[in-house]
Amino acid sequence: MKYSAERCGYCGACVSVCQKNAIELRETGISFNLKCENCNACASVCPLGALTFENH
Amino acid sequence: MKKLKYDVVVVGGRIGGSVSSLFASKNKANVLMIEKMQEIGTPVQCAGGVTDEVFKTLQMKPSDCHVTSRIEGADVYVPDGRRVRVADEKTKGYILERKMFDKHLAIESAKAGTDIMVKTRFKDLIMREGKVCGVVAEYLGETVEVEADLVIAADGVESTLARKAGLNMVKIPEKIFSCAQYEVVGLDVPSNWLKFYFGEQVAPGGYAWIFPKGDKVANVGLGVRGTKETAYTHLKRFVSRVDATPVELNVGGIPVSGPVDKTFADGLLVVGDAAGQVDPLTGGGIRITAVCGRIAGEIAAEAVKTGNASEKFLKRYEDIWKEKIGKNLVMSLKYRKVLDTLTDEDMNRLGKFAEEHDVMSISKISALKFVGKNPHLLRLLKEIL
Ligand SMILES: Cc1cc2nc3c(=O)[nH]c(=O)nc-3n(C[C@H](O)[C@H](O)[C@H](O)COP(=O)(O)OP(=O)(O)OC[C@H]3O[C@@H](n4cnc5c(N)ncnc54)[C@H](O)[C@@H]3O)c2cc1C
Ligand code: SF4
Ligand code: SF4
Repeated sequence: MKYSAERCGYCGACVSVCQKNAIELRETGISFNLKCENCNACASVCPLGALTFENH
Repeated sequence: MKKLKYDVVVVGGRIGGSVSSLFASKNKANVLMIEKMQEIGTPVQCAGGVTDEVFKTLQMKPSDCHVTSRIEGADVYVPDGRRVRVADEKTKGYILERKMFDKHLAIESAKAGTDIMVKTRFKDLIMREGKVCGVVAEYLGETVEVEADLVIAADGVESTLARKAGLNMVKIPEKIFSCAQYEVVGLDVPSNWLKFYFGEQVAPGGYAWIFPKGDKVANVGLGVRGTKETAYTHLKRFVSRVDATPVELNVGGIPVSGPVDKTFADGLLVVGDAAGQVDPLTGGGIRITAVCGRIAGEIAAEAVKTGNASEKFLKRYEDIWKEKIGKNLVMSLKYRKVLDTLTDEDMNRLGKFAEEHDVMSISKISALKFVGKNPHLLRLLKEIL
């Protein structure tokens, strides 16, 4: 996933739908771990469009 | 590494956390509440609408410090712009200044004896033989280990804590309201009336709202589901209709799937958004979280007193909250399912019908006549009744 820290509003919606526990939300931003399987669930609920699907 | 010992650790310092820690402390438990943000209640993820009942549950009085306006009723706009007016005892309530309200609850909890650590992030559970025995947290880069008889997870929609205890907390994207809201200045709306807007154009899969805060200030927001465009894009479009200036942007996700399957485990209780304790029809979670938080706090204190925080004992938390609000949630979930199948056309028809009748006292006969003319709505009605 491509993440735009500038667009993020630290709301945690993305974390709530991640089956792989691949996202961690700290105070003011998220980070991904290697478990991400690019399922796009997080991007689909992000209110600000801070996440976009990246084709590898 | 710092080591601490408490009877109860509460993770998350907003409604769910403060209410459960308040009632655990009131009932003589030794409680620590940790919150990852450095300021309790920020960033706001709420429109602040509550009914009078919240204050009864909390045994508190509304105060000018955290209430901005008194609400008498609501206008619901169907897609063609028709207005349905609803007002009775149940629609009476308040708009909260959530930042202040959450802080106030934390202060009340601290006064009752709760220790609070802010800027302290839950990282992991301490587990022994399948039982939750405390948490590992991080405070300013330092690891803190807190042993406890019982942990209460009030970590909101993210809900990472209970996952670590093996509970299934992952939410389904189609059942999350993706929300964006501006607090705006310069909107001339009555300060005692809520406004809701439905329709594919405005807020697909959800609705838009205007919650007045008085003095031409209002929360204008919306929640959407399954959309290509983001909630923020929809919000920009919605707000462009009015001439008002934003002073705050709020975003968040609301689970509208109904509660999770299980809200307790050995040494663990889950409350609030984390547990899906949100009205699936409206997305409102403040009152339900307050009710469940209070029960969680009281049960936690009882578990500490009797030295029994086993899964078997803690099941009574779920039994009690289900008894108190379970039926309402089940009903709301049915309404949600029905609403999800309605087209804009259906809503317009319903709006027209409601416009011609007094919605607060629609008779069975006129309702039956209406579904007689709209047979496909009969099937939906059957699901509710
Ligand atoms: C835009 C929007 C509008 C809404 N409007 C309304 C409304 O008008 N009326 C209504 O009744 N409900 C409304 N809701 C729902 C309501 O806000 C929630 O149901 C309610 O806030 C739930 O409270 P909570 O304590 O469970 O969770 P939250 O309020 O989300 O609090 C969770 C807390 O846990 C903390 N936390 C998370 N992870 C960790 C960690 N690892 N370590 C430490 N702390 C952590 C977070 O920082 C946060 O402070 C709205 C929601 C949104 C998004
Ligand atoms: S793409 Fe899927 S697996 Fe990857 S972080 Fe997002 S939700 Fe998790
Ligand atoms: S859903 Fe979007 S705005 Fe919210 S925390 Fe995730 S990336 Fe940030």
